[in-house]
Amino acid sequence: MSDFLELRHMKANIEQYHILHDITFRVPKGEVTVLLGRNGAGKTTTLRSIMGLNPVVGGSLTFKGESIRNLKPHQIANKGIGYVPEDQGIFYDLTVGENMRVAMKKENGETKARMEWILDLFPDLKKFWNKPGGQLSGGQKQMLAISRAYVNDNELLLIDEPSKGLAPIVVEKVMESIHQMKEQTTIVLVEQNFMMASGIGDRFYIIDDGQTVQSGQMNELKQDGVLLQKYLGIS
Amino acid sequence: MNLRTIEKSTWVYLAIAFLLFVVPFLVTGRSIQFLIIQIFVFGIFAMSYDLLLGYTGIISFGHVMFFGVGAYSTAVLFDRFEPTIFTFGLAILVSAIIAGVVSFIVGILTLRLKSHFYAMLTLALAGLFLVGAEKWRKVTGGSDGFTFGLPDMLRDSFTLYMLSALSLVLLFFGLRRMTKSPFGKVLVAIRENESRTESLGYQVLHYKVIVSVVSGVVASYSGVLYILSLRFVDTSVFATDLTIDVLLMTIIGGVGTLIGPIIGASLIEFAHHWLSDLSDVHWLFERWIILYGTIFILIVVFFPKGIVGTLADRYIRWRARRTE
Amino acid sequence: MDVLVSLAVNGLATGMLIFLLAAGLTLIFGLMDVLNFAHGGLFIWGAYTGVWAYHMTDSFLLGIGTAIVIGLALGLVTERLIVRPVYGSHVQQILITLGFMLVLQECIKVVFGPDQKVVSPPSYLEGSFVVGDIVFINYRLFIIVIGLVIFFAFYYLFKKTRVGLIVRAGVMNKEMIQSLGINIKLVFMLVFMVGAALAALSGMLHAAYSGVIYAEMGLEFSILAFIVVVIGGMGNFKGSLFAALLVGLTQAFMAYYVPALSLATNMLLMAIVLVFRPQGLFALR
Repeated sequence: MSDFLELRHMKANIEQYHILHDITFRVPKGEVTVLLGRNGAGKTTTLRSIMGLNPVVGGSLTFKGESIRNLKPHQIANKGIGYVPEDQGIFYDLTVGENMRVAMKKENGETKARMEWILDLFPDLKKFWNKPGGQLSGGQKQMLAISRAYVNDNELLLIDEPSKGLAPIVVEKVMESIHQMKEQTTIVLVEQNFMMASGIGDRFYIIDDGQTVQSGQMNELKQDGVLLQKYLGIS
Repeated sequence: MNLRTIEKSTWVYLAIAFLLFVVPFLVTGRSIQFLIIQIFVFGIFAMSYDLLLGYTGIISFGHVMFFGVGAYSTAVLFDRFEPTIFTFGLAILVSAIIAGVVSFIVGILTLRLKSHFYAMLTLALAGLFLVGAEKWRKVTGGSDGFTFGLPDMLRDSFTLYMLSALSLVLLFFGLRRMTKSPFGKVLVAIRENESRTESLGYQVLHYKVIVSVVSGVVASYSGVLYILSLRFVDTSVFATDLTIDVLLMTIIGGVGTLIGPIIGASLIEFAHHWLSDLSDVHWLFERWIILYGTIFILIVVFFPKGIVGTLADRYIRWRARRTE
Repeated sequence: MDVLVSLAVNGLATGMLIFLLAAGLTLIFGLMDVLNFAHGGLFIWGAYTGVWAYHMTDSFLLGIGTAIVIGLALGLVTERLIVRPVYGSHVQQILITLGFMLVLQECIKVVFGPDQKVVSPPSYLEGSFVVGDIVFINYRLFIIVIGLVIFFAFYYLFKKTRVGLIVRAGVMNKEMIQSLGINIKLVFMLVFMVGAALAALSGMLHAAYSGVIYAEMGLEFSILAFIVVVIGGMGNFKGSLFAALLVGLTQAFMAYYVPALSLATNMLLMAIVLVFRPQGLFALR
């Protein structure tokens, strides 16, 4: 069986600079795969390249056995991939409700059920339903961004640093929600906060200087002090 | 003053300024001198617009009202009082006060809001000034306009040339100083990211209103000079066409550069002058405006930041590559 | 009494014509945030080509159809060649659309000649009828009906679908809206084309209303449309409709009762609205 999402020797540029040299990883269905690495190693660019927001100049990119390398971002999204960018990408002038409505591809019973589920998970969103997205707190923005990606029946979620800039207690809440979504969908998570990542990740890849350099099971990594020290600066 | 602290570009500008004062000794034709005076006048007008659009990011669709205020104040005062140098000074003062008050009120009312509102309110007010000038026949002579006398000194095309050139040079260096000062840096910060500037503790509204007032006063002065060179005033000094012209001059030259608008003013004035003459050459040129419009489109395609802005960008990139 | 009613009908008809032009700009300027000065150019091209087809075939409906088709086609060209490279930059939009406006306006003179053209409504819309002491002019009523139909069609479309939200979201963050699975380029293009078609349609309807068309009328009317979009509250059809009717009615009444001020009406109205209700009559929020 071919893997769910598979990147082989992917290369990508930002303008004329080579940012990604050789990204290779496989994401099995139903698991949480965590991309680790230092700042500027190329984790965000990897996610953007999967979404088609950044031109891929070499290697292959397949989703469910089908190449998505030359597709446009909206086509990739419509294959069933949801994306939560690093800056959350909230539409500031639209209300929380409008942000959700823009994201919902269909308004049928199934989406409504998912919406109910989300609002139970994040009661804040219900509370501030008519408030412009720009006025939400950082944590609320993150919850809204994740909900927007989850409300459609996406088979894969790409989530970029959900803990960034949030208070520890909010981080816990966000991670808890991702943990719950894990039952329904496959997730690729970029995360600097190793404690959080190790809590929900099944498998990890370490990216360094635009290359995937290490991979394995998350619980092995927790034991491997040398690796942690070398690439993540954790001792 | 330590001469070494003066930037290299300042020397270049000073040299160009010097040349401007030499020109009238070489070029003595009245019509060409008149054309150059128009360029100076519109150069000042366009610089005032650049303060708004280029440095602070405020769009105005009624900038012509300040120009018209300057023009009418001068004309009416010369018409009512003895044409002396004193009246001239009074005209500058009166137009500055009216322009200052109007721009202050408009600024206070709309600069808090999104940019469209300043644009639209100025458009509305400029329209009202135009109608006012048409209807207040006793003073303005309505759409027929009126001619008026000037003090002997200002009648001479050479003096007028020198006066306009001096005004342009002084205002250019003055405004350049302002935009390079800490005050100017805040303006650029507002243009780049208004809410961030606000959150850094700057009273964004104050800065915007001040710029609006300075810009209005400078524009009114260009109106004063304009009407001196014409010695005749009518409602065309409030026409929307002039706002469009000044907008084009600023954008074509390059917003946020001050020198760009002056270059833009030269190009547009020359274009008006030469392109409209072409219709005598061939019937096709009767539709010269098509050419004119096409040039705007091409400028956006090839000089997206205006002529000066785009060339400056290229120069910086070229230097960066050389030093690599 | 009869004066009041006929002034009101006049005002409503003028207002509806302004609304039709402003409706296109509500999409292009209000929602997509493009300062499109070429809107008036689309208006005159609608008027001239529509009238040409009407005079050639003697069918008013074919004239309207031609205007709409030309509007869609010119909208496509304008969006792809002129507007697409400058989304997000007002400064560049002003310059390039003004340039294109001049080209459109002068090309009218090249193709159709520089003189004014005389137009009259088709026989079945000409004439008038009398109720009591009041004279109703058929063509004006026709315009009012068309205006209402267009209004309700778009109002419903935007209320019931996500189109309006998608366009606004796309203006705010193009990458994100794509990541949500929306082909925003296509959406922008289609919305622009519809806006252009509305401008062309209003040009054609206006031609038969005023009885005469000339190339310069585009810029005059597009300024009115900008005013209406702003005082209506940017990007909502209800606001644009009310603002347009307000402008039309005020014009009609001022012209009758205070002719001295009629020239200043629009500007005065806009100044008053902006000072007292700067967010527009019907702000989106």
